[in-house]
Amino acid sequence: MFKNYLKILIRGLFKNKGYSVLNIFGLVIGITCASLIFLWVENELDYNKSFPNKDYIYKILTNQEYNGEIYTFDATPGILGPTLSEEEPGIKYTTRFNEEERLVTLGEKSFYKNGAYVDDDFYSIFSIQFIEGSIENVKSNINGIVITKKTAQQYFGTYKNIVGKNLKLDNKKYYKITGVIADLPDNVSLHFDWLASFKSYELGKEYLKYWGNNSTSTMIQLSKKANFNTVSSAVKKIIPENTDNEGRTYGILHSINDWHLRSSFKNGVQNGGRIIYVHLFSIIALIILIIACINFMNLATARSVKRANEVGVRKVLGSKRIHLIVQFFIESFVLTSIAAIISVFFVLLLLPQFNQIIGKNLQIELANPIHIAVLAGIVIFCSILSGCYPAFYLSSFKPVVILKGLKGNQGGATFIRNGLVVVQFVASIIFIFSTIVVYTQIKHVKDRDIGYNKSNLVAINVKGDLLKNIDVVRQEMLNTGMIENIGLNSYNILNGGYNGSGYSWEGKPEKFDPLISMRFIDSEFIPTMGIKIIDGRNFYKKPNENSIEVIITASFAKMIGNGSVIGKLIRRDKNVFEVVGVVNDFVYGNMSIKKAGPIIFLNYPSKASYIYARIKDNMPVNKVITALSVVMKKNSPSFPFKYSFVEDTFNSKFKNEMLIEKLSQWFALLAILISCFGLFGLAAYTAEQKSKEITIRKVLGANVKSIVNLLSQDFLKLIIISIIIAIPIAWLIMSNWLQKFAYRINISWWMYALAALIAIFIAMFTISFQAIKAARTNPAKTLRTE
Amino acid sequence: MIVIKNLKKSFRTEEVETLALNKVTLTVTEGEFVAVMGPSGCGKSTLLNIIGMLDNPTEGSYKFAGHEVSGLKESQRTQLRKGNIGFVFQSFNLIDELTVFENVELPLIYLKMKKSERREKVKMVLERMKIGHREKHFPHQLSGGQQQRVAIARAVVSNPKLILADEPTGNLDSKNGTEVMNLLTELNQEGTTIVMVTHSDRDSHYAHRVVNLFDGQIVTESQNREIRATI
Repeated sequence: MFKNYLKILIRGLFKNKGYSVLNIFGLVIGITCASLIFLWVENELDYNKSFPNKDYIYKILTNQEYNGEIYTFDATPGILGPTLSEEEPGIKYTTRFNEEERLVTLGEKSFYKNGAYVDDDFYSIFSIQFIEGSIENVKSNINGIVITKKTAQQYFGTYKNIVGKNLKLDNKKYYKITGVIADLPDNVSLHFDWLASFKSYELGKEYLKYWGNNSTSTMIQLSKKANFNTVSSAVKKIIPENTDNEGRTYGILHSINDWHLRSSFKNGVQNGGRIIYVHLFSIIALIILIIACINFMNLATARSVKRANEVGVRKVLGSKRIHLIVQFFIESFVLTSIAAIISVFFVLLLLPQFNQIIGKNLQIELANPIHIAVLAGIVIFCSILSGCYPAFYLSSFKPVVILKGLKGNQGGATFIRNGLVVVQFVASIIFIFSTIVVYTQIKHVKDRDIGYNKSNLVAINVKGDLLKNIDVVRQEMLNTGMIENIGLNSYNILNGGYNGSGYSWEGKPEKFDPLISMRFIDSEFIPTMGIKIIDGRNFYKKPNENSIEVIITASFAKMIGNGSVIGKLIRRDKNVFEVVGVVNDFVYGNMSIKKAGPIIFLNYPSKASYIYARIKDNMPVNKVITALSVVMKKNSPSFPFKYSFVEDTFNSKFKNEMLIEKLSQWFALLAILISCFGLFGLAAYTAEQKSKEITIRKVLGANVKSIVNLLSQDFLKLIIISIIIAIPIAWLIMSNWLQKFAYRINISWWMYALAALIAIFIAMFTISFQAIKAARTNPAKTLRTE
Repeated sequence: MIVIKNLKKSFRTEEVETLALNKVTLTVTEGEFVAVMGPSGCGKSTLLNIIGMLDNPTEGSYKFAGHEVSGLKESQRTQLRKGNIGFVFQSFNLIDELTVFENVELPLIYLKMKKSERREKVKMVLERMKIGHREKHFPHQLSGGQQQRVAIARAVVSNPKLILADEPTGNLDSKNGTEVMNLLTELNQEGTTIVMVTHSDRDSHYAHRVVNLFDGQIVTESQNREIRATI
């Protein structure tokens, strides 16, 4: 019997090539999408899962209260880890982890490499595997360096027999290689090329011993018998006990299992993170699969006239209904399996492009039991979902009716079919609408006035003793003729500065203690950036080392008082500053915040870490970079020239949103494509159903246009119903998504209209093929068939 | 074999109720060849469908080989029909995707017959219907007469006691029509009971008895032996 079903299926597939292609290709798109999304979701969910102690590893974060709001930082006092290690028995290991970029040099080979200064427990916590050397080596050598296998190969061409050799860091100090460790997988939260002892890092850094200074990451591993609540409570208490900040800064535990997906905090409480995208894309995968399955159902039931005869004959010849149900389920299973096999090839084909979009290196592993199980699961899900309606609907046909010749609209079936088309288009319209909203929101944030001109602006990293020659460097850069101005800043303008509280001024309310960002700049920084001085003046060119002059942003000035604040004094600890200028606010850190945070600038160019160079208009970028690199190589020969365009760094801050934008574009396109396959098939079916009516109308004088209208109007009604249903759902979803942006767009009417027009246009375009074909059919041919 | 008493069948739509069969009483004995005639819409096909257990009567009794059929569920009717009744339709109703051989084999598959046995039976019946050389062809590759011979082969392959033919020559030219009628006559002479619905006077002459229906009622019944003998 099974063989008989297969024969019918395969011969039917070849006989109705058009339907088969629409059906299978719709499923292929659905399964391919779902598989790609699965690979991404799997990768996201597997983050940090490769660490055997993952269930006991935590990072200590600090909740810091400023002006009634709690901010959560991955920054703790340097002394926290060692103290906890001594005082809290539930903690098995602790390590501090300070990420740094250093120029690592071996002879002629010199590269900037990311690394971290860690305590010895780090190796135990993260079960680091030594390929060469050992943990004992590491422990016994404070000036040792451990490098990854990849780094070893980059410098030495091999990872063997290099223990004991030296690498120079930042052209200053030699570190002896004490070990080579296995490269960590891509999907872990720790990224480093080298590790060095925290003991060497903390030498001379007294501030690491202060409880009031939060500048170190601290990680711990609990012992297996530890009570989480006890440790958590100890972590919460220890900072307030050692400071006099009345508990406004305290530690919290953040499990490694949440580092990647649940790292967002609001008012001191975990409130999601990337997990929202994992959920979102899983739902999208499911919706696309359902759209593809609906296609299958619709096309199968639309072919019911052709299949009815077979059903009738089989029933007359003795087939039970269950046989037919099984037959149709087998058909959907076989078709879905064919689609799944084709999808695997598509996934392999598309994976490199997909990886490029999402910035990962995902791989499909055909021997991986999880991958096989998921693919099988998708096949079973699609088979059941696609097969259920045709199986129960077609098998319900009564042979008496069929053998008389089944005609007409078959009442309930038409209703369900139309309902399914509506479901497909509702999903498609939501995707289209979402794409429009995401695109507009990203454009809105990107195009916002962030308070300075970010175009034609290069940030150059200051390394070594460059600042000693900064006047020469500045002049040589200006002499290239391509640079308009040069400014210095201690921090990357797009990120935070030295953030802190404890500022006071005359008239400040007692409990008002805002978080202020401090930056050290030179007198050229403000004009170079295009930041406007709205009151007072800029710094003088030659700063006095004991200068107490500061420039503040408008939001800070507003905190001090209405009217001019020039000449007012600001105090912090023992320092007194005098406000000489007020500049406009500019956005830093999170670009989607509504208002920029307050900033205080000190005229302190010797603390600069970045040179900002404003390129003159219409200068060829390549030539500018070459000219800048020549100047840098001349004045800082031992450090490779490292630069970035501020605009590129700015754009990279929207990585997640741009990923959502790109993927929602693709999913909208695919969803509408699959839906159109279904619509195309249904239009063909309707034309077939209405062939007699079309013929009679043509005989009576109808022209092609009126026939096309006749066939299109029913579908147009379905699309309009879909629009009516989709719009409130889409509004709900997207206004919820927009909530996460303080600086956001308002959803406006044209977005709904555009989504609706796109859906109508695409649907009508699809239907028109079949409608025109039907309208042009020779009536004599149909009459002969009748 | 067939005992029908006071059979009624009505079809109800939203607005009207149509009485397709009205108190029909009919007996068909084993080995008989009965033709059912009448104008379009008189209830011929409805009667045939009820006899073939494809449909249930609204009222009355229908006994097939002693079993009361009226009121049986679809699955029970299917069970009783399997192997006992063969159907021949005007429009052949072959499955397009199956070859001649596979179409004829289908009823035997539902009877769960072994493959070797099925093969033997199908081969035999195709030879008998003079269509053996076409066993690997698909229906659309055959002429109308050939397709109807395949349909008859499929109807008889399970050796049913009864063959129901609904205008079996309706889609055929006279030559092929005669061939089909001769085949049915042959089957009848071998003992198969045949009930045939027809519009054709010529075809009705092949039957032993002609039942005339009008407005859902049997209006006349006539014996036909002499006429048939002269054809």
